[in-house]
Amino acid sequence: MFLSTVAKYINLSFEIIKTNILTAMEYRTSFLIQVLGMIVNDTALIFVWVIFFKQFNQINGWTFADTAMLYAVTTINFGLVMAFFRGSFELARTIARGELDYFLALPKNVLWHVSISRSEISALGDTIFGIIIFFFAGDVTVEKAGLFVFYVLISTIILFSFTVITQSMAFWFGNFEEAAEQIFHSLIGFTLYPQTVFHGLLKIVMLTLIPAFFIATLPVQLIRNFDPVLTVVMLVYAASIFCIAVIIFTAGLRSYESGNLINVRI
Amino acid sequence: MTKVLTVSVPKYWEVAKVNFSNSTTYLTNVLARSATVVIRIWIFTQLYRVTYAVSGSHVIGGMTVSMVIWTLMFTQGFQTATRPGVIRLIDEEVKSGNLAYSLNRPYSYLLFHYFSHLGRLVPILFANIVIGILATVVLAGPINITGIGILAGIILLFFGYTLDFLISFMVGLTAFWVEDTSAFNWIYQKGQMVFGGNILPLALFPPGLRAIAELTPFSQLFYGSAQTIVNFTMGNFLKFLSVQLFWVVIFAMLAVYLFRKGGRNVSINGG
Repeated sequence: MFLSTVAKYINLSFEIIKTNILTAMEYRTSFLIQVLGMIVNDTALIFVWVIFFKQFNQINGWTFADTAMLYAVTTINFGLVMAFFRGSFELARTIARGELDYFLALPKNVLWHVSISRSEISALGDTIFGIIIFFFAGDVTVEKAGLFVFYVLISTIILFSFTVITQSMAFWFGNFEEAAEQIFHSLIGFTLYPQTVFHGLLKIVMLTLIPAFFIATLPVQLIRNFDPVLTVVMLVYAASIFCIAVIIFTAGLRSYESGNLINVRI
Repeated sequence: MTKVLTVSVPKYWEVAKVNFSNSTTYLTNVLARSATVVIRIWIFTQLYRVTYAVSGSHVIGGMTVSMVIWTLMFTQGFQTATRPGVIRLIDEEVKSGNLAYSLNRPYSYLLFHYFSHLGRLVPILFANIVIGILATVVLAGPINITGIGILAGIILLFFGYTLDFLISFMVGLTAFWVEDTSAFNWIYQKGQMVFGGNILPLALFPPGLRAIAELTPFSQLFYGSAQTIVNFTMGNFLKFLSVQLFWVVIFAMLAVYLFRKGGRNVSINGG
């Protein structure tokens, strides 16, 4: 029963994603500009670190190859959430405008449906960039590539869950769109820099309030040096934050007030 | 039809005031922005303290660690005040067709958005800078800032915002010709990130690259002002000001040209 439900959701997700991509590809030039634009965008970002590491060879043992791995992990996990679950980034706006009504009337899980309902096609550019930059992140072996895929997927679940938690605050605060975006920017802020510089209270923030440690630091560390204990820690963390996200969203849904909005979805 | 520049100060003052009030209404958003500023400064403090310690130098490119943090705080504080950006606004107006309604109103479209933009950013800028200064004093320590440095920095900041507006306005207007302007937006943002001193101050660049970066419009947006406030020299101020004014004139001409060209694409139907 459970497995057949999961299979149904996977199948439906695949169909929705396919439709989203095909819709975006209808405007072929725009599609290409967006994907290539994002690759150029990410390349510019990594160029800052080329300059940085030209001036300062390494920071507490962190080299350009580590930054390349960091960007490989974070651009892919970010790209996957944005490309396939863009709706989760717009939850606060959807809630504030009373637009959840549409999803409430349908038989599938509301959080799943609202998240998958939107795609940011440019994010495919992030994912492509992440795969390319992985090859600049030191010695590439089949084993490393396997670990890379595994940890990227786990960190994607964490990123998605964190987004749902922050965006769901709109159930109680009303206008929380900008605030949720800023919290997300703070998270991204942590994932841009050499991870070996963080210490003290800031490290605690990364481990608790803003889980950058689990999205960026730990995956890079584990791809470099596999550790079964830390892998279990990461898995437990991912499962916990996912459950918390679902609980918070479900609790919020109970206090959701319809906007009585009549609109047409095309 | 395409009135681009019509000067009537009281009218635009009111536009700026309305947008000022809008920006201060949502306190949660202002607080969230401020928290982001604090976290950024915290990150920079740890990053550059470790970086300077590893390099074994107290002064790099004429800057101490504290000066680097203060420069970054000002640069990012100035830049983040511009969100939500003009690009998205103009892009939406072009795509939705709302631009057509503005064209026959008794104001210049460009100046209307320019003053709206300034009105919106002032309270956010104020919050960013007050919180930024407090956080930087606590995290990185105070530095010596001169009155003339602040004055010169404010002049450069005003033209920096003008330049940012003109470039953003142009990028937004490209919606007349392309389906999605976000790719140009990202390139503009990342140009700022690389050459605008948002993460790595240009003073820490290798000398050759630094000279090139200082001539780009990206460094003239907010970095010039931040650098002048933190480390004022008359020579640098005049250099920044002249390069900045050059770009303001170029982009003002381009923005007006693009608006007139795009305006021809607008067809207004009665009803």
